[in-house]
Amino acid sequence: MNFVDEWSAFWRLFYTNGGYKRVFSEGLKNTVVIAVLGLLIGIVIGTLIAAVKVMPKYKALPRVLNGVCNVYVGFFRGTPIVVQLLLAYYVLFPLMGISLGSLNTCILIFGLNSGAYVSEIMRAGIQSVDAGQMEAGRALGLGFYPTMLKIVIPQAIKNILPTMGNEFIALIKDTSVVSFVAAVDLYKVFTEMGNVNYEYLAPYLMMALIYIALIMLITLLFKLLEKQLHRDDRT
Amino acid sequence: MSSMKTAQSNPTPAMNNDELIVIRGLCKSFPIGKKKTLNVLNNVDCVIHKNEKIAVIGPSGSGKSTFLRCLNCMEDPTGGSIFFNGEDLADMKVDINKHREHIGMVFQQFNLFNNKTVLQNIMLAPVYLKTKKAGGIFAKPAVKKQIKDEARETAMNLLRRIGLEEKANAYPSTLSGGQKQRIAIVRALAMNPEVMLFDEPTSALDPEMVGEVLDLIRELADEGMTMVIVTHEMGFAREVADRVLFMDGGKITEEAPPAELFGNPQNPRTKEFLSKVL
Repeated sequence: MNFVDEWSAFWRLFYTNGGYKRVFSEGLKNTVVIAVLGLLIGIVIGTLIAAVKVMPKYKALPRVLNGVCNVYVGFFRGTPIVVQLLLAYYVLFPLMGISLGSLNTCILIFGLNSGAYVSEIMRAGIQSVDAGQMEAGRALGLGFYPTMLKIVIPQAIKNILPTMGNEFIALIKDTSVVSFVAAVDLYKVFTEMGNVNYEYLAPYLMMALIYIALIMLITLLFKLLEKQLHRDDRT
Repeated sequence: MSSMKTAQSNPTPAMNNDELIVIRGLCKSFPIGKKKTLNVLNNVDCVIHKNEKIAVIGPSGSGKSTFLRCLNCMEDPTGGSIFFNGEDLADMKVDINKHREHIGMVFQQFNLFNNKTVLQNIMLAPVYLKTKKAGGIFAKPAVKKQIKDEARETAMNLLRRIGLEEKANAYPSTLSGGQKQRIAIVRALAMNPEVMLFDEPTSALDPEMVGEVLDLIRELADEGMTMVIVTHEMGFAREVADRVLFMDGGKITEEAPPAELFGNPQNPRTKEFLSKVL
């Protein structure tokens, strides 16, 4: 079979027989949902961990929290996400009697995983903000947390936005392993399409195009966001 | 030496009415490496009276900035006491934030909040702290609005005073150094502080902008604001200060009214320093 025939066979599956509906309503949707919710959970967890890491460590509690965070980051950065997905879906959750469903498990694990990475990005971002900003807030009588939240973190986010865009793009592409735990994403949908004729070239080419389009869109969104956040710079 | 002071510190001394800050045996050391410590302040005693203008001068590394930064615990003292409003600020159990509201501080590097406009810079702390006292997020919307309106009015009045009202909605990155420092000063003033600490307020400025900042500080001095100024501007110290402290090696080695200290210094180290800078 030459490429033209292969492509037209795929096109029949993809367009004429309505395969694209499943691509968009399940594959693309799940890929985006897992990555977006994963990143949002990751930002929340990452910010909390980063805050713990930059907390003054006079008292016992911050030190204990710091230890807990180190273990957490160590585990989630030290193991591949496939291992984390398999462990959660086939071992931990069944043992604990929790059944979240494969999509929710993926969202949760991607969130926890990206939390570990975002925490390091955030910490670097927070430390990139001039220490004088924190001092000025504290000198006015604001506490550590209000100053962090109102002054330091907004500036940190501006600094780390390009890195955060990278993390989001990596996350999108990492979602291609979720079929390990029976979740349906772009990879799964296109593989199934290939399985029909045992011809994978055209479906995977199409999949690559969709990933590229998606990531170009995200790059554009982050650029716009960056522009918006940099409005307080000298023009 | 124990690293951090705890509660069993000296009782509050009977303070005279005109004593605002009483510093007793203030020590500050920084750890260098595992065993060594660097003693920056050694047993500093000082009393700051209400309405008094104190200039702190001395060679670099003499501990004058650290001394100033200990007064509002930007650096935690490692020994001694700082009594302010009946509490020992060096005591780690004291709520330092409460006291910092009444101690304004101006930094060498201005430290305006880069992500806020000039107006927001001035309003942020008063609005946040007053709203917090009124119940935080549970405060009534009308109360919140009133706090905000009052803070905006105060801020605009302060900006008008320094002639920068048209910069209210500008971001700090668009301002000159002198403008930034004057805004940093009124940001501290917006809290209505009892004392202002100036940490080399003109050292990071272009020479032509030093004047406008010193003029504003002079104005505050004339209005009776209590202030402690760490400075290298000897002429300014001489003109504005009621008392000049000369620091060397983590100690106040000489203190006197400016005319005396500059005109007839007693300590050989003071003489040497003044001969170099004057």
